[in-house]
Amino acid sequence: MIQGGKNLVYRPPAFSGDGKRLLVCTGNTVSIYGTSTGLLITELVGHTATVTSVIVLPVAAPASKIASYCWTSSLDGTIRYWDFSSSQLIKTLEVNHSIYSMVIPNISGPPADDNGEKGDLYALISADSSKSSAQQRGLSGQILVYNLTKSVLLKNTVSETLKPETLVGSYSGEFVGIVTARRLLIWKPPRKNTDWVNLGKFRVRLHHTKSFTTLAFHPSERIVAGGDITGRILIWRGFGKRRFAKQSLTSRRDVENEEERPGVRGNDDAESCATWHWHSTEVKFLSFSSDGAYLYSGGGEGVLVAWQLDTGKKTFLPRFGSALRYFVDSPDPSLSSISSADNQIHLVNLQAMKVLKSIPGIKLPFAIPEIYEGLWSNGFAVVSSAGLVALRTENYGVQFYSLLHDREITQVVVCNRNYQTNDDVTVVVSLLALSGDGSEMSTVEVRLPEEGIGGLVCLKFWECGSHSGDFALSTVIYDPHGDAGISAVAFHPTRSMVVSSSYGGNFKIWIRSMDIQKKDGSLQKGGWRCQSIGTYKKNPMTAAAFSADGSVLAVAAGFVITLWNPNTNTLVAVMGETPEPIVALSFIPNAEHLLSVSRGSNPQLSVWNLSKLSLSWAYALCAEAMACDMNSSKFAVLVLAPAKVLSGVSSHRDGLILLFEAEDAVPIATWCVKKAKGGGLAFLQEDHFTKTENTTNGKIDGKSSTRLVYLNGDHEYIVFNPFNSGDDTTSKPHDWYHPLENEEPFGYKAMYGKLPDSTDKRENLETVAFELTDKPWETLFSGSSHVLPPLSKLCHVFLASLLEKKKEVTT
Amino acid sequence: MDGPGTFVPISARLHPKKTLKSSPESKFWSSFKTTFLTYNLPITSINFCPEPPHDFVVTSSATLFTFDGITFTPKSTIRKFSDVAYSGTFRPDGKLLAAGGESGNVQIFNPKGDPLRRLVGHVHPVHYVSYPHNDKLHILSGGDDGLVKWWDVASETEITTLSGHRDYIRCGSPSPASEHLWATGSYDDMVRLWDLRNTSPVMELGHGKPVEAAVFLPSGGFLATAGGNVVKIWDVIGGGKLVHTMESHNKTVTSLCVGKALVPGESEQSRLLSVSIDGYLKVFDYMSFKVVHTAKFPASLLSVGMSPSSSCRVAGSSNGRFFIGKRKGHKVEPKKDGPDELMLPIEGVGEENGKWAPTKPWHRGYFQRGQTEKHSEGDLVVNQPKRVRVPQHDKLLRKFHHKEAFVSALNSNNPEVVVPVMEELVARKAMVRAPNEVC
Repeated sequence: MIQGGKNLVYRPPAFSGDGKRLLVCTGNTVSIYGTSTGLLITELVGHTATVTSVIVLPVAAPASKIASYCWTSSLDGTIRYWDFSSSQLIKTLEVNHSIYSMVIPNISGPPADDNGEKGDLYALISADSSKSSAQQRGLSGQILVYNLTKSVLLKNTVSETLKPETLVGSYSGEFVGIVTARRLLIWKPPRKNTDWVNLGKFRVRLHHTKSFTTLAFHPSERIVAGGDITGRILIWRGFGKRRFAKQSLTSRRDVENEEERPGVRGNDDAESCATWHWHSTEVKFLSFSSDGAYLYSGGGEGVLVAWQLDTGKKTFLPRFGSALRYFVDSPDPSLSSISSADNQIHLVNLQAMKVLKSIPGIKLPFAIPEIYEGLWSNGFAVVSSAGLVALRTENYGVQFYSLLHDREITQVVVCNRNYQTNDDVTVVVSLLALSGDGSEMSTVEVRLPEEGIGGLVCLKFWECGSHSGDFALSTVIYDPHGDAGISAVAFHPTRSMVVSSSYGGNFKIWIRSMDIQKKDGSLQKGGWRCQSIGTYKKNPMTAAAFSADGSVLAVAAGFVITLWNPNTNTLVAVMGETPEPIVALSFIPNAEHLLSVSRGSNPQLSVWNLSKLSLSWAYALCAEAMACDMNSSKFAVLVLAPAKVLSGVSSHRDGLILLFEAEDAVPIATWCVKKAKGGGLAFLQEDHFTKTENTTNGKIDGKSSTRLVYLNGDHEYIVFNPFNSGDDTTSKPHDWYHPLENEEPFGYKAMYGKLPDSTDKRENLETVAFELTDKPWETLFSGSSHVLPPLSKLCHVFLASLLEKKKEVTT
Repeated sequence: MDGPGTFVPISARLHPKKTLKSSPESKFWSSFKTTFLTYNLPITSINFCPEPPHDFVVTSSATLFTFDGITFTPKSTIRKFSDVAYSGTFRPDGKLLAAGGESGNVQIFNPKGDPLRRLVGHVHPVHYVSYPHNDKLHILSGGDDGLVKWWDVASETEITTLSGHRDYIRCGSPSPASEHLWATGSYDDMVRLWDLRNTSPVMELGHGKPVEAAVFLPSGGFLATAGGNVVKIWDVIGGGKLVHTMESHNKTVTSLCVGKALVPGESEQSRLLSVSIDGYLKVFDYMSFKVVHTAKFPASLLSVGMSPSSSCRVAGSSNGRFFIGKRKGHKVEPKKDGPDELMLPIEGVGEENGKWAPTKPWHRGYFQRGQTEKHSEGDLVVNQPKRVRVPQHDKLLRKFHHKEAFVSALNSNNPEVVVPVMEELVARKAMVRAPNEVC
């Protein structure tokens, strides 16, 4: 059993003390990635529900560099303490509230008491409210204080909120704040242990007319920045001067001086407030640089904006291809991380304003407009032999993701276009299909018209290069079915043949022309062209599928199924009819059966007998996905379960996977699953598993080793053996983890990087061979002085003899 | 996506690559660079002198213009006509010119324009006048009275009159094979072949439409005739059999001529050039019966000619425009009399060891020395990063200036730019608004 497809950007990650590791909250685990490689190093496994925050203990002294500890909080109501270098759990603290967010203000070591004793470590946690009185007032969240040293939850509630909010602490731990609707609430954690009880009384409120989304504290000064849903950034300077000056309640009214406080609303406790507005959508994160000179902000536009705090001057790091969510600074000033909404963490050097590395996760489903009613597409396709899944991405591409290694393989840009902000999606990759061996791909992109003008459907064929996922564009067909949209695209199982069916009432069979050897020896790649067109009573064609051997093509013409010979384009037979239009078809290999799915108010899952051309059996179930095993006559269907079926089961599970034998209407196996809406199913072929089993067991298992993949609506997936749930031997591949390379540069290399290879071409040039004759000047001056020529003449000769003339190189 | 920071410019739709093979011959025919002169009145005839330097004479209204065959500049202008002149033609040696006219007289000039002889006999306008191929003493003329006359030029007397045509004679051609054989075409839809030793036609070819042009192909065995929008090729030796009909023009074909295609690596081949009222010039390979080249002119064409040296092809239009197509790569040899000014050395640059080198510090060349120096073998070449030129509309789209981007794309006058920009605007939901803001 392999689980994967984790959401990397659910919560902000955290850097390790030396900046070499990145701790990412991924579901119930914390995944640790190497920042230099971008690969998974290890995982912290232990929590039983989603991990909501991870806090790394800062490195106080170089001696403690080896020790690397972190606190994690989770919805399962525990706080855990880990040594993440060895991925060991050290202690577990029970809180008994689902923790949504946690901040440890004095993380670097609690200050010493007056008596010289070391204080306790406290955590502020944002949890769901258990009090019935609060829930009656509609306040379902509360902020509590937990003594980590003594494992005690303080009784006093700091604050009650509408919903559990995200806590934000300042760098030094001086302030902690949250956003609640149109207010910022800021507390100052006390120094003394005894003062923690009264934390809730020391609070500053800052107001605004719009709902806030995020806030950030300046590292050294009393400056707080808040971002709102309209994209404005408000910066308060000198907040809480009155409130926190003396920690007593009496001083509040005395210092009511009437000096001007520009931009500050009402009686808010701040000196001034400035507003900056660049973002057009809501501000998702704000963060001050560690020296406090810059403010970084990001939002739905996918642009990182660096504001110079004194002048308000902006610099940009644009085109992340998706909305940005979180920004985390590392101890290393040249390294920060940005989490973007397409499940990708970018490691950024903000000095150079460039992306160093990206940690890509599986692409998340994104909101797309309903293009055609009842389009059967969850936007992915699976190469069963290679264990790859192809998913469409938000920025008009296709991502190839290895299910077995839980890693991105590659991305293909389908539509070369700049990313556009999410709220009005006009370009969508609506369908994608892969050939059985994964060497060819076909995509359909739809450009939605603006008030009926300028719509375009584009069918593209791609060819795989030398390694899997390396696709190059082969053929583009604009508006392949005229104005009508494409309902389905399917590949022939063995040949280069594709069928595309359209709502306009026809289907087209595309074939690839042969490669042409040109005169000059170069190979001209053959393109795709239409071989034939078929229609049936001008009914809209809603689904298409080839049989396992490719001899029969089934096309759903509304309520009936038409069977065609794809080579001669002749109608063989018609089967029908269903209560609602068919949205998907699939042949069941090794059995003379055809599976059809229709949705709508009267959904139906039907199995047709091809030899009798009649309905074999049917269920009134709304199927979300289906998959057929290539080696047997079994198939699996993912259905959205009716409410009454699951009433006894856990409330989160909303779907069922049913495994059927083609002839038999009674399912062989049933699984209850979560988040079935928008999910998918696929069978993976055995070769990969036999390989891994081969290495582990040393012998090939005689049993069927086909695996079923279930990809849920959030694109988390699980690979399991559907036929043998007991002893599932599918283990994680040996290259699942990548140990961090410990080759550390030092000295010059650490500061300036590796020297470039400076071997010069000229060094290879032949050296000129010349020999120095033995001291030619020795004989020059020998002789009696009256015989010698004048010095002015001799000097020239003398110098010439010293400077040996270059001889011609003799070869 | 290459990661953050890369801007994707607008890209045009992909189209299948043109499968049109550009053969060496079509390359030859498209290598003519056309300029034009304007004369305001229709240019009815163009005639090249077969002798080098292949001067040519152009007939427009009551004027003959002669042009130099090398520089293609006007040489002389002959205005000695009382009425409209037709069919100005050179004697094969280029020493004399002949022209018919509305008055019915055929006049003979020397190239400077002095009138020498006047052949009086036709009572109606003479549209066709021609010298034989190898005969300097005689001339053939055809008139609107339907008669063909054979003249002795020196004595201004007519030798024979050939009657048979029942309508205006508008064209004719001497046979390259026989000095006695002539073809004339008439508006009675017939082409008649005459042996000057007989008075009756030896052959009659029914073209089917009023015949506007007739020309013998260089072998003498084939005759091409033009009438209506068709050009027909006849086998004269084979008894006047119709060989081929070319119907690629849309309107009346007005003129034909024979030209030579000089294709590198191949022997020179004769082609038939035809022009029509529809403004197209077509080059026809009469061996394979294929149109090998088509050129469009912005006016109705009335006459066509091609230099025997293939250095130029000319066409005259009904609105008086005279199109001269000079072949690229055809060198105009400069006259070599006196010292050539171009060869004088540039000041400040002296010749030294076969290389131009700067000499003295008070010359401009001294300060520019070494600027064009090439790098030597072992030098490390630092390439300047290529500046990527971002088109204006991309820059504007980047700033979300949709209206300006739309205007900028429209100003480019290139559909390959306008359509992608409009598609991008549709994707940004700004297309409906952009034109309204422009107006």
